[in-house]
Formats: sequence, structure tokens, C-alpha cells
Amino acid sequence: MSSTQPRIEVKDLVVKYGDATAVDGIEFAIAPGELVTLLGPSGCGKTTTLRSIAGLETPSSGTIRLNSQTVYSGAERRNVPAEKRGVSMVFQSYAIWPHMTVFENVAYGLRVRKAPQAEVAANVARVLEMVQMQAYADRPSSNLSGGQQQRVAVARAISFSPNVLLFDEPLSNLDAKLRAEMRVELRELQRRLDITSLYVTHDQEEALAISDRVIVMSKGKIEQIGTPEEIYNRPSSLFVADFVGAANMIEGLVTGPGPDGTLLFEGQNGVTLQVEAPPNGRGGSVVALRSSYIHLTPVDGARNAVAGTIHRRMFHGDFVQYVVDWPAGQLIVRRPPTEHYDEGSAVTLSFDPRHCVLL
Amino acid sequence: MRNSGTNMWIAPLLLLICGVLVLYPLVYLVVESLNIGDAQTFPPEEYGLGNYGELFEEPKVILNTLFVACIATVMAVFFGFLQAWILTRTAIPGRARLERLMQLPYYMTPLIGALSWGVLLGPKTGLVNQVWRAIGFNSDLFNIYSPWGIAWVMALFEGTVAFVMISASMKSMDPSLEESSRVLGASKLRTALKITLPMVAPGVLSATIFVFAEMLGSFAAAFVLGIPGRFFVVTTAIWEATLSFPPDYGRAAAMGLSLSGAMVITLAVAKFIMRKGSYATISGKAFRPRPMEIGPIRWLLMAISWGYMIVAVILPLMALTLTSFERFATVIVHQMQFTFANYETALQMGSLAPAFGNSLILGIVVASLGVPTIGVLAWIIYRSRMPGRGAMEFLIMVPQAVPRLVFGLGLLWAWINIPIPIYGTLWLLGIAYFTVFMPLGLRTIAGVVLQVDKSLEECARVCGAAWTYQMRTITLPLLRPGLIAAWLLIFIASVRELGVSVFLMGPNSKVVAPAIVNSWLSSSSELSAAMALMQTVMVFIAVAILFRVARRVGGDVT
Repeated sequence: MSSTQPRIEVKDLVVKYGDATAVDGIEFAIAPGELVTLLGPSGCGKTTTLRSIAGLETPSSGTIRLNSQTVYSGAERRNVPAEKRGVSMVFQSYAIWPHMTVFENVAYGLRVRKAPQAEVAANVARVLEMVQMQAYADRPSSNLSGGQQQRVAVARAISFSPNVLLFDEPLSNLDAKLRAEMRVELRELQRRLDITSLYVTHDQEEALAISDRVIVMSKGKIEQIGTPEEIYNRPSSLFVADFVGAANMIEGLVTGPGPDGTLLFEGQNGVTLQVEAPPNGRGGSVVALRSSYIHLTPVDGARNAVAGTIHRRMFHGDFVQYVVDWPAGQLIVRRPPTEHYDEGSAVTLSFDPRHCVLL
Repeated sequence: MRNSGTNMWIAPLLLLICGVLVLYPLVYLVVESLNIGDAQTFPPEEYGLGNYGELFEEPKVILNTLFVACIATVMAVFFGFLQAWILTRTAIPGRARLERLMQLPYYMTPLIGALSWGVLLGPKTGLVNQVWRAIGFNSDLFNIYSPWGIAWVMALFEGTVAFVMISASMKSMDPSLEESSRVLGASKLRTALKITLPMVAPGVLSATIFVFAEMLGSFAAAFVLGIPGRFFVVTTAIWEATLSFPPDYGRAAAMGLSLSGAMVITLAVAKFIMRKGSYATISGKAFRPRPMEIGPIRWLLMAISWGYMIVAVILPLMALTLTSFERFATVIVHQMQFTFANYETALQMGSLAPAFGNSLILGIVVASLGVPTIGVLAWIIYRSRMPGRGAMEFLIMVPQAVPRLVFGLGLLWAWINIPIPIYGTLWLLGIAYFTVFMPLGLRTIAGVVLQVDKSLEECARVCGAAWTYQMRTITLPLLRPGLIAAWLLIFIASVRELGVSVFLMGPNSKVVAPAIVNSWLSSSSELSAAMALMQTVMVFIAVAILFRVARRVGGDVT
């Protein structure tokens, strides 16, 4: 097997529950060492996809290949059971077995594989240290805190050195601060072990922060696959623009070509913007504009400049959110807390055509 | 599990066995109820609905049944509601202990209750009646051998059932619903009438209907307290029909099936109300509503709460104990003679000692075979995606909707008519117990199966464990407390079983409860008391172990 061959390959995957189609013909591949996120609202089929790869759901049709081995094929009627797929998984509920100690939990995968006692002990110690839980090895696992359970679940998932690791919303049960910390640690661990990972989350911030690539799903289908920057800066659909990050949707029509290869886009009440021409050449009727990419003072090179008035100011700490009245309605603008505009003051909304994504 | 080869045949096999066990006797029952020819021949020579028609020729039995059931239901729901309100909503001293003790009346059984209240309030000889006469009245305070007596004994027993159901609906009510009413300016009374009452009403209503359905099928109290005065309800009339000469199995079967039909309809209504109208249980979360501060009334409420315990458990047990040590139960209070002879008789007499042994063996064997079988079935029904598991669940729960006595009748008729010489042996009793206790086992085990998060098992699979390894290391250890509880509950139910046993017991396969009844019928209340007390001790030992198991796992398994 050459190293460029994908570790996970999903083709034309369809999963149905009775009449409902949870996953509707999706296709993607994940390279060795990559961390890819399945991102989408609840019910979009992301968890079903992950569970199908783990072997916990039976798809209706399609193909799933792990390490170039076909583990599921609808056409060949092949379905390798979960325990023979060699993947590992961190569950949303952590699934820590309450009747075992921390050590026994982590050792489970090794003992199933009949590893010698000494090897089990050494491996468990190694992974517990990785998640900084070595002091808890002999504790009963039933009264660990959420964060500790999370660490044990991760240690257990990596203890038997699987080559594919699946995460099912592993951080969704933690409070915000712990979640932010664990996010960093998980990414650190994944890079260190260089382990191919597929990560399911509905938290767009989390997806953008930890992924090499993000797959945005909606209603059982893939909306867009790309790096976090691509997803954020160049959403390919209204859904992606709306679901990932905070964006203003400006309705209007393309009226013709503008300077420097841009297009002219006319919104309500005569607001005309220069927007970047989409690569496929099609013109849409909505422009997506990220709240963070709008300045409230004239900026050199930002070729769109429109007068507006601050309607409301809301201080969030890490940023300040303004609701700004402008001729085409209202815009949401996020500025760093170092800038200050009073409610009622006149401002100049200025932004680059590059950030105006025509959809 | 879909990949596990062993499952492929285990499940259909178990389904087949359970199907035969449940349906075979019922088919016989249906066929026999349509038999209008000679009741002794099978298959019938002539079919017709005559047996059902006869039911309405004698409306007295039906009216009796409804009368007793209605009175008992009203009383039981009153007791249950009062206890539920006191124990969940007021701050009386020792509330937690009382709540735990509230399970005890259920383990007393209507048979023990009827026997002991017979001792307490029997005409002329009843202890309370004697005291009543001694202080100057020249008639009995109350005659327990009456419809009201039957209803009283049943209400004490069913009161616990009503308590459990009503207190569950009270506990599942979010206290913030009442708090927001108070904050919006409503008085305590207005809040109680406009918020609390509508929230608990569906729980109370479904408890009422459930208790009523159970009352329709109850046998023991009506038997002990009704037969001497020739007062018959449907269940005792069925029993009577099978004893007449020649036995009128056709009419008995028709009565039994009509009774089951009435119970099924009633229970379906209860379930419908539960699902439709229950706002309170939607979240499934248990709240502990803030108990009301009630000042000095709390001593009165505590007395009421203990009063129920005294009347339902303590007084009957004391009466039984006293009687069991007497030489003659009929003598007046100041002439009592005390003896151990009744216990010696109970343990020596040719037919009685084996009854205790048989009941013990049956309890242990049925529980030990039942738990693994039902455990596998529960796992298939609530965990797998096997087609037909809904049907399986339905099938297993069927015996619950058929009164034991009626099921016993079906079994009697079914096994008499096959050439295997099993009738009159412990084997048949074992099969019968297994069949009628399947719903109990399934409900208990399902409770724990559903509590075990599915991902605990899935995680084992993903970690590389095959099905058997996962069962051994994860599933079974997690289910252990529930399995132990199910074992004990089936054991308890077996040891005190009456309805099925009265039809299936033979001279060489006596069991405790019918033996107690027999000795009662031969008017030896002292001996009956001794035996009843010994049976109760057996049950209470098992209950004590059950409580310990329940407390250790921190859940309510009963």
C-alpha cells in the first residue's frame, strides 16, 4: 500500500431507515494523517456516516474502504463487523464502562487483542500519560468528572494503536472553557500520533479550529469540502455561508462587469457593490459578506464604501457587534474591542470585493 | 449482533418456545369456550356461543364482581393518593423510610391479608369483634366475610399499587411549574386547583383504571372471604364451575375469556390515558418537589401514613402470629392456650412439609431458568434490530392480561389433553410458573437493559471485541443487579403463587399457597396461620435481599 492511498474512502454511500434517507449518496476520501471534520446541523447524516464507517450502522448501498480494504460494499454484499475493522472511536457519551477501573477501561482494546500483560501495562501507562490521567489509573471510573471521562475515552481509543480514529462529537458534553482546552489537546495528540481521524461535530468554530479539511453536510448530502479557510472565505452555497461563521446576506442582482474583473451587484435602494466574479461564471442573487470583514472607517483598497449609522452596539468581550443601518437594510459588523463607535454615530462601511461572495 | 451466527437460531427458537407456552393454553381456552357439546371431550363435538350466552343468564356474578371492584378501587386509590401526597409533598418526619416500607403491603398478598383479616374481623370469633363485644356491644363491629370485607382486604393490597403509580406522577412534575404560578400571583389553593391537580390527574386516573382491572381478575380474597357466605365473583365462579359435577369447563373458559377481554380493554384505556394526557411524565426526569411546610399537622399526617402500614402489614402479621401459636383459634381472648403444635404439624404432616419443599424448588428452578431465558429475550427485544421483536414483546406480555386463574384453567385443559403424563407433576407447575412470570421478568430486566447506554456496548465492538466477549465483559456485568432483582422477584412470585396452582397442583405436587387454602377450608385457621406466616417469612427474606441489591445499585428495581 503506498502512503498516498487514502485511509478512508467513502463512495456513493446511502443509509436509509425505513423510508427516511439519512445519508444520500456521499463521497469523500481521507489521506493518511489527516484530520477531517464532518460538520452540519443535527440530523444532517454526519453521525450516521461516521457510525457506518465504524460498522455500527448498516448502509443501504455504496462502498466503504479502510486502508484499501473494502469493509462495506452494497454491491458485493460485504459488511465487515465493527470489531474486525481495526478502527477506534470516541463516543459522544464517552461510553466509559462504570464497572471497571480507569486502567481496565483503557486496557480493554489491548486485552481483546490478547496482548501480553507487560505490554498492556506499558501501553496503558503510556497513553494515560499522554492524556495526563496517569494518577487515576486505579480509580473506579464511575465517579470521574466529564473532562476526566473524556480523557479516559481518548486514552482507551488510542491504546491499541489503531490507524483510523473516529470522533463522535467528543466535546459536546463539556462546558465552554474545557471544550476550548480539549480542542487544543486533541489536535496536539492527533498531530503527535499522526493518526488519520474523522471527527463529527455540529460546532462550526470547533470544526474550523481543529481540521485539515472540513466536510459540510446538510440533509444527507455534502455541501462543500475544503480547508477551513476555503469554507470560511469561499462558501459554495447559501447553506455553508449561513451555517459556518457569521455572514450578512445581501439580496440583489448582477448588473454587469465592474473594474478589475469584478462584477457590479445592485442591492436594495440603489446600493451598488463590486463583488468578485465566481469561478464558475454564474451570477447569483445573494452576496454573502462576513461580519468580521467589514470596516467602519474608510480603508485603502476596500473598494466598496457606503455610509451607515450605528443602530445598536453590543459588547461581547472578544469583539463588539454592531447593527448598522445602511440603505439596503441592516448589516451585522464585528469589530475588535479596541475600536469604539457610539450608537447613533455615522460610519463608513467599507469592504473588499474579494469578501463579497456571490451565491 | 447481526453478524453473530449463534443468534440466528437462538432467537427464533426462544420465540417458538415462548409462543407455544403462551398460545397453546389460550387456544385450548378459546376452543373449549366454544364447546357446547360434552364438556369432557376434546376436540369438541359441537361448537357454539352458548357458553357466552349463559354468562348473562346469571347477572348476579357480574354485578357482584363490579360491586367489589368498584368499592375496592375507590378505597385503594384513596389510600394510594393520600400516601403519595403525604410522602412526596409534605415534610413529615421519617418520610424516606416510610416510602421504602410502602412496598411491603404488596408482598403481603391478598391471600395472607384475607386470612389475617378473617382472624381479626370474623363474625363472633374475630379478635376485634370479640373486643367489641367485650366492651358492651351485642353485635359484631364488622363482618369481614362480606363484599365489603373482600373489598377492604383488596384495597389494602392494591393501595400500594396505586401509591406507586400516583407518586410517580407527582414526582415527575417539575416544581417550577408550581413556582411560576405562585410568582405570577396565584394563591396556594389556586395553584393546587389550577396547576397541581390537572398535572397529577392523568396519573390518578390511570392508576384507578389499572387497579380496577387488577380487581376484576383477583381471586384469593374473594375466595377466602366470599365462599363461606356463598358470595361469588367471576373468578370464584370459574373455580366453582370446574368443581361442579360434571366439571363445566366450557362455561368456565367462556367466563375466563370474557374476564380477560374486559381486563384488556380496561388496561388499554389506562395506557391510552397515560400516553395521551400525561403532561407531567414527558421529560421522564424525576424531580423532588419541594415539600410543603405544614407545621404541627405533620404529626397527624405521619400518624395517617403509619396507620396504613399498621392496618396493611403490622396488624395482620400480629394477628397471624397470635393465631399460629394458639391451640384453638376460636376461644375467647382471656382463655387462650399457646402451643407450637401448629408449626410442628406444618412441618411434619404428610402433605404439608413437601408443599414447602416443592414451592422452594419451583421458585429456585423457575427463577434460575427464567432469568437467562428472559434476559436473552429482553436483549433481543430492546437492543437488536431483529425483525419481529415487537411481536415477541407482545407475546411475552400476553399472560399479564389474563388472570392467573384463567390461565391456569387453560393450562389444565391443554395439558390434560396431550398424551405426555405431565399433569399433576411439578413439571407442569414449573412450565406454568415460567409462562405466567415471563411478563414480570421481562419488565424488570427491560428496566436495566434500557438504562445501559447502547454506546457502552458499541464501544466494546469498536475496541475489537466479538459479540460473546462483549456480552461477557460488558453487557452481563452491567445487567447483573437487574438480573438478580428479576431472579428474586420471580422467586417471590413463585413461592406465593395461588391462581395457577389451584388448578395444576396434584396430590404429589402440592405447593404452599393452595395448601394454605385447603387447610383453611378444612377450618383449621391456626394451622393456616402458621403456614401463612412461614410463607411470609420466606417472601420477606427474599424481599430483604432485594432491597439490599436495589440500594447497592442506587436504583429502584421493583
